[in-house]
Amino acid sequence: MQPVECATCGNQVLCEKFSRAHTSVQWTAEAAVVCTEFRARVTAGATSARIRTCRALRRSIDDAVENGTLEITDV
Amino acid sequence: MTALDDGVRIIDAGKPPARFARGWHCLGLTDDFKDGKPHEIEAFGTKLVVFQGTDDGQLHVLNAYCPHMGGNLAHGTVKGDAVACPFHDWRWSGNGRCAGIPYARRVPPRARTRAWLTLERNKQLFVWNDPEGNPPPAEVTIPEIEGIHGPDAGEWSEWTWKTLRVEGSNCREIVDNVVDMAHFFYVHYAFPEYFKNVFEGHIATQYMESSPRGDMDLGTLSSGRLRSDASYYGPSYMIDYLYSEVGGGIDGDVEGGSGSGSEGGSEMEIVLINCHYPIDENSFQLQYGAIVKKLPGMTDEQAAEAARLTAEGATAGFEQDVEIWKNKTRIDNPLLTEEDGPVYQLRRWYEQFYVDAADVKDEMTRRFEFEIDTERANKAWRSEVEENLASRAEQTGTGA
Repeated sequence: MQPVECATCGNQVLCEKFSRAHTSVQWTAEAAVVCTEFRARVTAGATSARIRTCRALRRSIDDAVENGTLEITDV
Repeated sequence: MTALDDGVRIIDAGKPPARFARGWHCLGLTDDFKDGKPHEIEAFGTKLVVFQGTDDGQLHVLNAYCPHMGGNLAHGTVKGDAVACPFHDWRWSGNGRCAGIPYARRVPPRARTRAWLTLERNKQLFVWNDPEGNPPPAEVTIPEIEGIHGPDAGEWSEWTWKTLRVEGSNCREIVDNVVDMAHFFYVHYAFPEYFKNVFEGHIATQYMESSPRGDMDLGTLSSGRLRSDASYYGPSYMIDYLYSEVGGGIDGDVEGGSGSGSEGGSEMEIVLINCHYPIDENSFQLQYGAIVKKLPGMTDEQAAEAARLTAEGATAGFEQDVEIWKNKTRIDNPLLTEEDGPVYQLRRWYEQFYVDAADVKDEMTRRFEFEIDTERANKAWRSEVEENLASRAEQTGTGA
């Protein structure tokens, strides 16, 4: 897994992509603490585990694939 | 080992855990326990008794065996707020204290049995199991389902509830299904077109969008597209929010739904519960049930019928799972492909319920997301189904 930093809040996660459609994300800290989007939604009453994804992080992962910093592993 | 065996994958069957998961476990619908009789539950390697106090109206759960001489309280009678043993009429209160021994001058000072912590929610009864004997932390609870507790609860049907005893398998088998994208095609006859898992804290979620295989008919709610958003809250209680396409393609399978659905593509909202409790380390009681939100124009009876059909669809699905479990081996080292989903990460999450609370590691509870690339799998499956349909059409064409 490779580190990817969220361009919005600086949160760092570990990522792996087997293909464009596949994404594996291992968070390395409490999501509701380190991620701005999660923090806002949890403050508004959401349960962190029940949030499907962080849109900002998702964009950062897509960008990392685009600019080649996150390679798609061809197993 | 001979050269022929070199590199052969050896299955590690492992051993089922020696303890039972820490967490809330659903025992069934509260109404089913509120008939004035004690009920026996085989769970956690022992027997429990569930009864409702006559005066306090509360449901209580105690160890079934009477500490006096081992009589089975579940075969006794409810007397006031206590359950009376059929052997010598010792009375046990919901809090586990001996409430009286009619023939004895005094109750032994240490006459207490185990009272299990209970929770009534979603019209269901839960017991808390913790091998360490601690109460649940505040954040570990069973969420209220809107269709039961919300302001619109009147628009939902009652539960249709079913149970299925599974022998010869540890309950990890059913939990493994959370990540098992491919079995939805082979065992449940659906194309899983979108599939994502999220594990965080004590919650494990499966998001899935699927459509039914054209070559198989389960005869129930299987004829439309389905969105499913399903979470385990703890080790054993899954709430599955299902959104089922009705109208258009559903040709009357959902009775009552077909009328309003014919206006074109409305969605039926269903909540399906999939839960279990361990009987012992090698068997478990699977329980499941459904409620359905009434579509516009639906009567109570039609909603109940839709819930019944949903539960029946689930029955067909679970029976197919059971058939697999009955004949498979436990496997601790599954051999996986990219399309298989995060089995090891799910089991790492599941492990948190089998260790002491102090030994729960960050890696078991830290957020983990896994979205499967379903494209290649679905392409292969689509052509398989087309071939099946083509060969069937050929046979019908020549045969009849």
